[in-house]
Amino acid sequence: MDVINPKENRKRHIRKTSRVNYVPLFLMMLPGILYLLANNYLPMFGIIIAFKKLDYSKGILFSDWCGLDNFEYLFKTRDAFIMIRNTLVYNLIFITLGLVVALSIAIMMTEIGKKKIAKFIQPAICFPNMISIIIVAYLVYAFLGSNGFINNTLLNGNGIKWYSEAKRWPFILVIVNLWKTAGYSSIIYIASISGIDGSLYEAAKLDGASKMQQIRCITLPIIKPMIILMLLLSISKIFNSDFGLFLQVPMNSGMLFSTTQTIDTYVYRSLMELNNIGMSSAASVFQSVIGFVLVMLSNAFVRKFDSDSALF
Amino acid sequence: MKKKQGSSEKRFQTISLMIMLLITVFCLMPFLLMLAASVTDENVLIREGYKFWPSKVNFGAYKYLWAKRETIFSAYGISIFVTAIGTFVNVALTSLFAYPLSRTDFKYRNFFAFFIFFTILFNGGMTASYIIWTQIFHIKNTVWALLVPNYLLGAFNILLVRNYYTASIPASLLEAAKVDGAKELTIYAKIILPLSKPVIITIALFSGMAYWNDWINGLYYITNTKFYSINVYLNRLMNNITFLKSSSSITEGANLAGLDLPSVGIRMSIAVIAILPVLIIFPMIQAQLIKGVVIGGVKG
Repeated sequence: MDVINPKENRKRHIRKTSRVNYVPLFLMMLPGILYLLANNYLPMFGIIIAFKKLDYSKGILFSDWCGLDNFEYLFKTRDAFIMIRNTLVYNLIFITLGLVVALSIAIMMTEIGKKKIAKFIQPAICFPNMISIIIVAYLVYAFLGSNGFINNTLLNGNGIKWYSEAKRWPFILVIVNLWKTAGYSSIIYIASISGIDGSLYEAAKLDGASKMQQIRCITLPIIKPMIILMLLLSISKIFNSDFGLFLQVPMNSGMLFSTTQTIDTYVYRSLMELNNIGMSSAASVFQSVIGFVLVMLSNAFVRKFDSDSALF
Repeated sequence: MKKKQGSSEKRFQTISLMIMLLITVFCLMPFLLMLAASVTDENVLIREGYKFWPSKVNFGAYKYLWAKRETIFSAYGISIFVTAIGTFVNVALTSLFAYPLSRTDFKYRNFFAFFIFFTILFNGGMTASYIIWTQIFHIKNTVWALLVPNYLLGAFNILLVRNYYTASIPASLLEAAKVDGAKELTIYAKIILPLSKPVIITIALFSGMAYWNDWINGLYYITNTKFYSINVYLNRLMNNITFLKSSSSITEGANLAGLDLPSVGIRMSIAVIAILPVLIIFPMIQAQLIKGVVIGGVKG
């Protein structure tokens, strides 16, 4: 990082930029700086809460330290294993399936891109991503609830109790997640495919390459850097889960915890429902520290073989 | 040979079109079911369940909502208020922050760019945020709780706008203005803002969507019904249902112990009303939004 010492550089600085008055520029940034300090930087120091036995009457700073006790308690529970496993496994499935589906959609969309109907299809498949997860939960409930479409119409009333059978939720959540995100995440691939030089395909056609061969030998290799970048971005977020998807869509049902509990829902439940600040902050700090390490690692990895795609 | 290849191209295109149409139906179908359920007769809904073609249409749910319009309108009002103010402040803060960063003659711009960027890399986690907002800033059950945490200013948007300014506003323009003796704020208001309309629209869309769809701030910081936005209200209705289901086997549609528990059809009609604005506005903004994703998605 470029650390600036105003005194040391003053002379050069005055000579070089004598016409620039920094005060208005600082004033323009001031509201934003204050907000980021309150919303982002203060919570970073709030991490100490995880190492304390928080007592509101003593305040955050003066509560007693308890070392790693909170983490020890947390990792002794079975919850810790379940939530970490769920977060990781769901994310791995979301990342791989999401990539395959988004790429396929992108390839098919470019194929039909010139047709008028594509102007309707594109926004339609993006629309599920535009609504709140609360509405999604209502939609899922319309299918799976006790009077839902699936139980009543498809299964003729021989209902499955969807909201109390944990084993069915991995499938449901994967489908819901794909339904919500696939169309939207294909946008970025559609953009990079449409940037490919059309004469490459013309040449391939002259050589008699089939459509599949063109996709395998032209499209995929050219957008490979983009795919890798997107993959690494999602891998760096692998300890984070879509809080709403795992809390709202299963309707916060306690019987489903074994397959729906993730780190984010655990942090929420232990903070707001069980009032266990120690466990909640330990899980939350664990998540953000590992997240930070993963971002740094994946960036270093990208920079090593394709420095243009690196984040920083 | 040539002809055969042409037909295989054609076949691929037809198959693509068919699959994409299927995917489109799959994406839109749940909304149709929701709409159908909201106009299905309540007794039919309980007896036959949710169907795409209701055997008996009844607009009772919407009439009920109209009778209870105070609650719904108040939630709607909160949503509109929070979205309007939040988006406006977000755009103002973002653009004001981004402009100095885009100035090559601003010496500390790298320092402040890092100050922003670091918030993407690292965060203190939800628990720390919650305790700081409630114990230090005391925003629980105030309208600030819906406006301030998380959505007021984001690093991603600042960097997006900064890149736009760097790329599309020529330094010579600023030089000329300065030679003419224009003040920084004048330059910003008279030159930068008018030129930044496309990127402003993009971040306003992102921010507006985030505020309209938000329920997490409401979940953590709001318990007073007065401050329920439409999504927070829907969330509470859902919780009431879950609560009842777990406590006993009471039939749906009951109004028990003062819990606000509207019937199935009514719940669906509230959901319909909640996505209505998105449904109306989205077709108008989608082209711009998609462009924004493409610009922003590549590099934050």
